[in-house]
Amino acid sequence: MFGRTLRFALTLVAALLLLSCNRSKDGGTTKIAVIPKGTTHEFWKAVHAGAVKASRELHVEIVWKGPLAEDDLKGQIDVVQSFVAQGVSGIVLAPLNDKALEKPVDGAVKANIPVVIFDSDLAGSAHKSFVATDNLAAGRLAGEKLAALLGQKGKIAVLRYQEGSASTQKREEGFLEAVRKMPDIQVVSDNQYGGATTESAFEKAESLLAAQNAGSGGVDGVFCPNESTTFGMLLALRKAGLAGKIKFVGFDASEKLVGALRDGHVDALVVQDPFKIGYEAVRTMVEVIAGKPVQPRIDTGAVVVDKASLDKPETKAIVAPDLAPWLGK
Amino acid sequence: MKYLRKYPFLGPLVAVVVVYAIFAIVAPGSFTRAENLTTMAGQTVVVGIAASGMTLVILLGGIDLSVGSNVALSTVVCALCMRAGAPAILAAAAAMASGLVAGLVNGALVTTLRITPFIVTLGTMRALRGLAKGLADEQKIDAPSSGIDALVAPLPPGYGWALFPPGVWIMLATSGLVAAMLVYTRGGRHIVAIGSNEATARLCGVRVERMKWLVYGLAGLFAGLAGVMEFSTLTVGDPTDSIGLELEVIAAVVIGGGSLAGGEGSVAGALFGALLMTVIRTGSTYLGIDNWVQDIVTGGIVVTAVALDRARRASEARR
Repeated sequence: MFGRTLRFALTLVAALLLLSCNRSKDGGTTKIAVIPKGTTHEFWKAVHAGAVKASRELHVEIVWKGPLAEDDLKGQIDVVQSFVAQGVSGIVLAPLNDKALEKPVDGAVKANIPVVIFDSDLAGSAHKSFVATDNLAAGRLAGEKLAALLGQKGKIAVLRYQEGSASTQKREEGFLEAVRKMPDIQVVSDNQYGGATTESAFEKAESLLAAQNAGSGGVDGVFCPNESTTFGMLLALRKAGLAGKIKFVGFDASEKLVGALRDGHVDALVVQDPFKIGYEAVRTMVEVIAGKPVQPRIDTGAVVVDKASLDKPETKAIVAPDLAPWLGK
Repeated sequence: MKYLRKYPFLGPLVAVVVVYAIFAIVAPGSFTRAENLTTMAGQTVVVGIAASGMTLVILLGGIDLSVGSNVALSTVVCALCMRAGAPAILAAAAAMASGLVAGLVNGALVTTLRITPFIVTLGTMRALRGLAKGLADEQKIDAPSSGIDALVAPLPPGYGWALFPPGVWIMLATSGLVAAMLVYTRGGRHIVAIGSNEATARLCGVRVERMKWLVYGLAGLFAGLAGVMEFSTLTVGDPTDSIGLELEVIAAVVIGGGSLAGGEGSVAGALFGALLMTVIRTGSTYLGIDNWVQDIVTGGIVVTAVALDRARRASEARR
């Protein structure tokens, strides 16, 4: 009677049985759900590796599950809800939106599931801790580095990223705070925004350099607060023939930016430590579950990388960590 | 086979039960908890409501690719109204109205320009997405969600008798209404007639163009309602939300026994189709299955369902 339906059902059974072989064993161990913003970016792979390292050292099980589509807000909310319904021991979450995830996190806490937020902050106070780079401190670090490169004097321009982006605004704030302490340093421009893409950042950088007469000594040093603005500025400096002549501190490391560092076109990059973010987030969650008090804000730090320190093993571990032992690929 | 033809939703119902049973066995024990059932029902609401409208469109022999964009647009409209201080009910009405208008535009383009619905809605998919981004100034819109957020939130203590959040009941009610319309009204019969054979329906005096307007309009209205539910979940208006939702909705209808050739489809089946995908997604989360595996499985299930549909119709044609 249900011949074809049965065949359909059997196909499903077979498919799912195959999948179930994939399942890791759970023998009443602590199970922590780790929810990133996405699963395909390089950054998140390093975070994943760090989380796996923590789970092996602390003998807990982690489930790494991001939204199916990259940056899918509804998908991430669904994943959080499913883990709450499942009753995991704890949830470690990198919220895609600081407001939209507030309610699902409240729901988790009401169901007695502790939540640790990592990478990006969340509104509200239901979560136990926030583990991420201290962007203000990282910005300060960049400011001190650029000042040192300039010998504490000169004219500086900042190409900001975008209005309304909390993390980069903090970096810009920290940077300006650090350089304004130096009496002989003059900030000639700090109100230009590069915008979302490398293309828009490149155009803004070009007009910024032209407006400040960078070619004839109007600018001695520049700072950019993220990957796209740094790359846009790099392209503009190269086009104007100023690369290597103007001191340049950027933020984040991509293959191309590291290449520019080697060429001397970028003097220093401030980089975050995604591996440590993943590691610390899971470690903090384990302490929360064990009932230990934890800091409400945990800084995973940022480091300044320049040409000299680029090939040191401790720098390599941050810029290009070896993920194979943890992700098995 | 007799029952399956009379009640086309039996196939997907069996599939849901089987898949649920498998996860109940393989997944950790908490999969069968009541909380999980209500959570899954809540997560099916958006696709379920949109699938009612899509069933009508597919019965008609058409397709509506603009559903996802339409849902995003209505979350934006809803958020804008809430931010301007409108009461929840008014914001929801405005969101549904925007969906209805978008649907009527689809209907107008399909009937007057005589372009295939696939192309028309491929165009409006992009246009509505652009409209949503423009209205939202290319940002997510923060808005107070008071009133609307209760639609799909877990029930507050003391309301356990309701079993499911209001959104789930609204989904069941819309599906019930659409199913009743198909069975008991002349308009419903006409939709099926047009999907089965448009030329014959026209010769029999069915006002084909008017029915098409009505159906695309209804599909838009349901997309608007789905958008209200989406806003209830997100609590922000998101112009980039629901990219690819149309494919999930179409998959739900097709798994539920709908035929893209028109004239066949079941509202109840589409609901089970939507539920099936939620169960698979939730089960995958429970088991910690990698996203890439989950993508392959979901895709495989859609193709299997369509293959089944083809085989069934071929065997019926041989009789």
